[in-house]
Amino acid sequence: MSDRRLGWLLLAPALLLLGGLTVYPAIWVIWLSLQYRIPVFSISRWAGLAHYAFLAVDTRFWSAAGVTAAFAVASVALECGLGLGMALGLRGQRHGRRAAVALLLLAWALPSVVTAKMFEWLYHPAGGLVNFLLGGRPVNWLGDPALALPSLIAADVWRTTPFVALLCYARLLTIPAELYEAAEVDGAAGVQAFARITWPLVRPILLVALLFRTLDALRAFDLMFVLTGGGPAGTTETLTVYAYRALFQTLQVGFGSAIGVVVFALVMVVAVAYLRLIHRQEASA
Amino acid sequence: MAPRPARAAALVVLLVLLAAGCRERPVADGPVTLVFKHAKILGPADPVPGLLRRFEAEHPGVRVQSEALTWSSDEQHQFYVINLEGGSPPFDVMMLDVIWVPEFARAGWILDLTPFVPAAERDAHFASAIEPAVQAGRLWALPWFMNVGLLYYRTDLLAKYGLAPPRTYDELIRQVRLIQAGERDPRLDGYLWQGKQYEGGMVNVLEALWANGTRLLDETGRPFPEPERARESLAFLRGLIESGVSPGWVTAADEELSRRPFGDGRAIFLRSWPYALDLFELPDSRVRGRVGVAPLPGLPHGTVGAASTGGAHLAVSARSRHPALAVALVRFLTGEAAQRAMTEGAALRPSRPALYADPGLVARDPTLPALLPLIRAGHPRPVTPYYLMLSTTLQPEFSAVLVGRKSPARAIRDGAAQVEHLQQALAR
Repeated sequence: MSDRRLGWLLLAPALLLLGGLTVYPAIWVIWLSLQYRIPVFSISRWAGLAHYAFLAVDTRFWSAAGVTAAFAVASVALECGLGLGMALGLRGQRHGRRAAVALLLLAWALPSVVTAKMFEWLYHPAGGLVNFLLGGRPVNWLGDPALALPSLIAADVWRTTPFVALLCYARLLTIPAELYEAAEVDGAAGVQAFARITWPLVRPILLVALLFRTLDALRAFDLMFVLTGGGPAGTTETLTVYAYRALFQTLQVGFGSAIGVVVFALVMVVAVAYLRLIHRQEASA
Repeated sequence: MAPRPARAAALVVLLVLLAAGCRERPVADGPVTLVFKHAKILGPADPVPGLLRRFEAEHPGVRVQSEALTWSSDEQHQFYVINLEGGSPPFDVMMLDVIWVPEFARAGWILDLTPFVPAAERDAHFASAIEPAVQAGRLWALPWFMNVGLLYYRTDLLAKYGLAPPRTYDELIRQVRLIQAGERDPRLDGYLWQGKQYEGGMVNVLEALWANGTRLLDETGRPFPEPERARESLAFLRGLIESGVSPGWVTAADEELSRRPFGDGRAIFLRSWPYALDLFELPDSRVRGRVGVAPLPGLPHGTVGAASTGGAHLAVSARSRHPALAVALVRFLTGEAAQRAMTEGAALRPSRPALYADPGLVARDPTLPALLPLIRAGHPRPVTPYYLMLSTTLQPEFSAVLVGRKSPARAIRDGAAQVEHLQQALAR
């Protein structure tokens, strides 16, 4: 047996497992999305691309797509910015680093539904801590169409910034102190040292964090599902919430699958774009 | 790179995976086991285990295995859909939210109970609880307990200003203004209700429609048969917020979010379900002994007390391997003795009017007789297999009115168009 064949043979179990767990269901969902299938009404027939044609003109779908995009861009940008800032702050800290890291982990370790419930009470207009700290003004965080999405983004940032911070912090710890000492000797400190040493070394790991966070944000579900149910007026309904409503609440299996396929395609496109970026960076490094 | 993006499909493929999943192979011999799926029963003392043991004693050789569902109604529905549609239900008797019964009946997931339930037994329940359990002239489930929308008010505040509970919303608005002007407490809100974009928000809108003498669907299923009255109802709800009678945050409020401030003594009126009463009367409650219940007020074209009914039903899985025993369990649990135990132990309201005059129960809960006429006047939500589709389609439209994003007339037009689109898709 050649090495090549042996290699494939050894890979086979993993490939079969991956294929069975991911490729097969994905193909099935695509298949379902091409049908009218509503089990309650015994509707099951070929639809072709009708669901996709409807999505193209479905205002609720486009609204959800816009909400998803806004949520992803804003939350990921804030998380990466703040996360990097936190990591730099942590490195500069002399005492209490361990306690700070433990505190960071706490937010990240909470199940997201628990986080959502916690924010429900923090944002409570009459008795919530947020309004109390703002002097008792009854700001309607989750019920005002202009504030609901920003409120959710803030909750997501609170929950996931630690993830980015810890990744960056771990990378920072591996940068040898000599580099900075040498830079200082050469008269490059502060901003210059950050731009020439820290940034190029942190960038690859930040890109990985960005990839993970973007893919998660594009599939954002639990915060909006628990906190606003997609409201008010659909201003926080993401694509996955819409897909959930179609699939599990109203049992439109075909139509819901079509939304799922769109989300899947979106995530794939973004993932491939990021991976190319990462590869290019590795190649140039 | 395969596993990560592929995980994106996890949500949507869940159904598929389970549909393809393994079928359970039951043991053929030995004692019969009935599996009973239900939400956890809250309240002072869960009576369900005791009731099941009693049923087992009456049916030797039968064991009832009680399996708790998750607390959230959405998740319960999802659980049922996945398991019943997947065709591998390892359960016999299931607790259903009343609004799911027509859907499950239409899907063929539950057993037709008509041949097993005598007319007298059916008539012993509230008509508004039986009506949603009947589809195509057949009975598909029996009511287990009952819910109805109520107007809670602060007896101390109304008495202080010499007021009786309002019969109309105009009166309620006047009372709020009067009391707020007299109390001069900026932290005292007027009327709290549920305006979040969810099923509860839908219930509040339906009640506003009924209060104004109209409804969501007519007999033929046409949406908004009297658009002008529906417009008035929606405009009234938005007006509550605009005028400050209700705080702006009711647009994000669900049952608990609205119950808390009222329970803290920070509101004059609240629309909620009977469960809140028990919480208001707890020893450490700030409004203990100062809360009364009244029928929901009416709007100009409608009647008083046009509240939504709700509650849970019990049904038998169409794939149960012991249908006769499962039906017996349903009839036992919805029977008078079991409902009495449920009312005592779980602080739930029975679906049998006779129990509202039961001396033992009334002694424990003196509010029961007052609830009877309120439940009798209640309306079930539209009884149709596509109620959930209807509700999730319309919720964003209604929410848009409540937050002032759409005019009531526009939301009714857009909502009607979407419902008609839905109906066409289903009719083909």
